[in-house]
Amino acid sequence: MRLRFDDDVEAFRAEFVSFLDANLPTVEEAAERPTSTAQMPEWTRRWQRLLFDNGWLLPGNPPEYGGRDATLLQQFVHLEELGRRRIYHSFNPQGLGIIAASLLTFGTDEQKKRWAVPILRAEITAALGMSEPGAGSDLAGLRTRAVLDGDHFVVNGQKIWTSGAHDADIILTFVRTDPDAPKHKGISVLVIPTDTAGITRRPFGSIVGRDDLDFNEVFFDDVRVPAANLIGELNKGWHVANGSLGHERTMLWLSFAERLDEMVEDFRPATALDRDRYATLAMDAQALRLLGSAALSRAARGEEDVASISVLKLFGSEAVRTAARHALLAQGADGLPRHGVTRPFEHMNLDWFFASWFERYARSFSGTIAGGTSEIQRTIIAERVLGLPRG
Amino acid sequence: MLFEFDDDQQLLRQTVRDVLSKECPPALVRSVADEGTDPAPLWRTYAGLGWTELTETTEAVELGILLEELGRATDPTPLLATLTWFAPLAPGVASAEQTGTAVFDGVSAHREPLGDGWILDGTGRHVLDGDRADWFAVVTDAGVFTVPAGEATVTREDVFDPLLHVADVSFWQVRVSGESRADVDVALARDVALTGLALTMVGACKRVLELTIDHVRTREQFGVPIGSFQAVKHKAVDMHVAIERAAALAYFAALSIAEQDPRRSTAAAMAKAAAGECTTVVFESGFQLFGGMGFTWENDLQFALKRALSGELLLGGADVHRARVAAALLDAPAATTVAATASEEPHAAAV
Ligand SMILES: Cc1cc2nc3c(=O)[nH]c(=O)nc-3n(C[C@H](O)[C@H](O)[C@H](O)COP(=O)(O)OP(=O)(O)OC[C@H]3O[C@@H](n4cnc5c(N)ncnc54)[C@H](O)[C@@H]3O)c2cc1C
Repeated sequence: MRLRFDDDVEAFRAEFVSFLDANLPTVEEAAERPTSTAQMPEWTRRWQRLLFDNGWLLPGNPPEYGGRDATLLQQFVHLEELGRRRIYHSFNPQGLGIIAASLLTFGTDEQKKRWAVPILRAEITAALGMSEPGAGSDLAGLRTRAVLDGDHFVVNGQKIWTSGAHDADIILTFVRTDPDAPKHKGISVLVIPTDTAGITRRPFGSIVGRDDLDFNEVFFDDVRVPAANLIGELNKGWHVANGSLGHERTMLWLSFAERLDEMVEDFRPATALDRDRYATLAMDAQALRLLGSAALSRAARGEEDVASISVLKLFGSEAVRTAARHALLAQGADGLPRHGVTRPFEHMNLDWFFASWFERYARSFSGTIAGGTSEIQRTIIAERVLGLPRG
Repeated sequence: MLFEFDDDQQLLRQTVRDVLSKECPPALVRSVADEGTDPAPLWRTYAGLGWTELTETTEAVELGILLEELGRATDPTPLLATLTWFAPLAPGVASAEQTGTAVFDGVSAHREPLGDGWILDGTGRHVLDGDRADWFAVVTDAGVFTVPAGEATVTREDVFDPLLHVADVSFWQVRVSGESRADVDVALARDVALTGLALTMVGACKRVLELTIDHVRTREQFGVPIGSFQAVKHKAVDMHVAIERAAALAYFAALSIAEQDPRRSTAAAMAKAAAGECTTVVFESGFQLFGGMGFTWENDLQFALKRALSGELLLGGADVHRARVAAALLDAPAATTVAATASEEPHAAAV
């Protein structure tokens, strides 16, 4: 057990820090806020491209994909440094974190060039079309149909929750291509440009406001998609789904650790009860980082570790939710205003400085619902870590 | 930071586990509880293996590994008290086979009116292994006195845990020499004691979870193992997560002791608080998931449940230590707080 990283990792951090110091957009440059998770103002595109060109966007990638072949620990300190300075890593998180990553893993060279690189260089943005009205936790139950007709697929069906779809250029869409196969074996993945005829995108409000438009319903009505847009093999989409979620989950805990650190800074308890809750928050923050760093060491050795990914997601997301509830309750009636400034201004940290206590609490549920709910995580841990029988 | 055992530490854990499964099996623990079997031979085995010499603070993580495993095995010897209550207050005093404990509160010292000795007066309550220690380290406002057990009047308490030794230790105007007094770092010693107890509790909680998992995999109701019911699974997972959290905070405290990290005191408070919180979850869900079987004297589950719960009652419970954590983070000068360290120092932020 050690308290420090090796020198090469720290040297890598130092290099990134000096890049940030020299290149970070100024407050004035960063004035325009994005309006959804797929709407990138011009300055955010410039910034992402600068990161890409210098190998600092996703350092684990090779240089042609915005990286510098960094080791896992180097990738970690890169994210850690962004988090510590409250700098958004991506203004199209699904695009960068899931879709580009899936394309780089499962796509052909042509597909990488056509979509992955433009996403990474912030020339286009992408949305993730997995969930459907009838397929949430049971994702494999999805029903959006794609039927091959010559050199095109014809797509019919509906997605929901598709974050940022109304602003995205493409949707990575999970479709059923073999309705007769067992449900995990009849799924395929298509890149569908959102300007294709037959697509209707309808953004709808979230619990924080009817004008908070990121969620979308997306309707596909005889949408013709070139067969060349198939990602991975036909009917092997479940591998891509697992790959996509894998990308999403590997260091997901770090984002919860950062939310907890922010709560440690922002929650100022006054009563004895609130001080007690604050201590719990500080302990959760510390424990999550410790458990995360243990998982990181295992991952750095190349160990498959579904278990701790689920444990960290469950623990981290629920700790954030608990902390946010406590911070809101501590406000009493002062917690009622819809808009409120709850932390100091940070120009590269776009959601939080506008968030009210209620909004922070409400948004904490995205951690416990999206990407596999807490209940689903508990079942996974019970079966895969504790070895309990399937129900 | 890489928060993971290195190869030597993993080997130590495995060795300790192997020794304990042979030397301190459930049958021995049961016979100590039911028949009053003397654990002294087991203690001598530990001494022979060098375990009682793990007293350097630089070895705090290794000591932690040992204590976690001893907690898991519900060790019936006075090793915890000797190594984490006594040794940090009186380094080098006891021989490898001797035992000791600490009287942290309740005793005052004043100078002998004539002569250069001291007079100890007062009672330390609920002293771990107070009835079977060879030595006491007595913490007073005037320093720490190391005295042979014969100087005190000791009364063992009848407690709910049949394996636990707790005693009231009284000094009635006992004269001790000036040489028995030392200025030691009592704050450090308390942190070692808290961390040691936390790891013991974590080990006991792990044992409860292991027994519970075995039980719910084999016990059938409604024609299926009860472990296939989601309500049962999710309780088991909450036990697991609470244990992981407590173990992480406890080993971080051990590491901060070993590395003389400025976060040590807060880390020790966090360790003890988290171990207590974990005990609450594990005690209730473990007991509950055993159904009526959990309610019996015959079931060995009781030993691990009681080891954890008695730990929560000693040296301040979770609420007490959360209050210390809050005070350290909110009231103390910024330099010693975890939060301040995390935002000011990139290396430490990596924890
Ligand atoms: C903020 C946010 C952003 C999102 N963005 C996207 C996106 O960009 N693209 C996309 O495709 N999807 C997105 N989602 C959708 C998300 O993946 C789903 O909400 C999630 O998978 C849960 O599905 P559901 O909403 O249908 O809930 P359900 O599956 O209906 O679950 C409802 C409740 O039932 C419980 N439950 C369900 N099954 C079980 C079971 N087997 N055992 C025990 N309990 C169970 C759940 O835990 C939950 O508490 C987003 C969701 C949120 C909240």
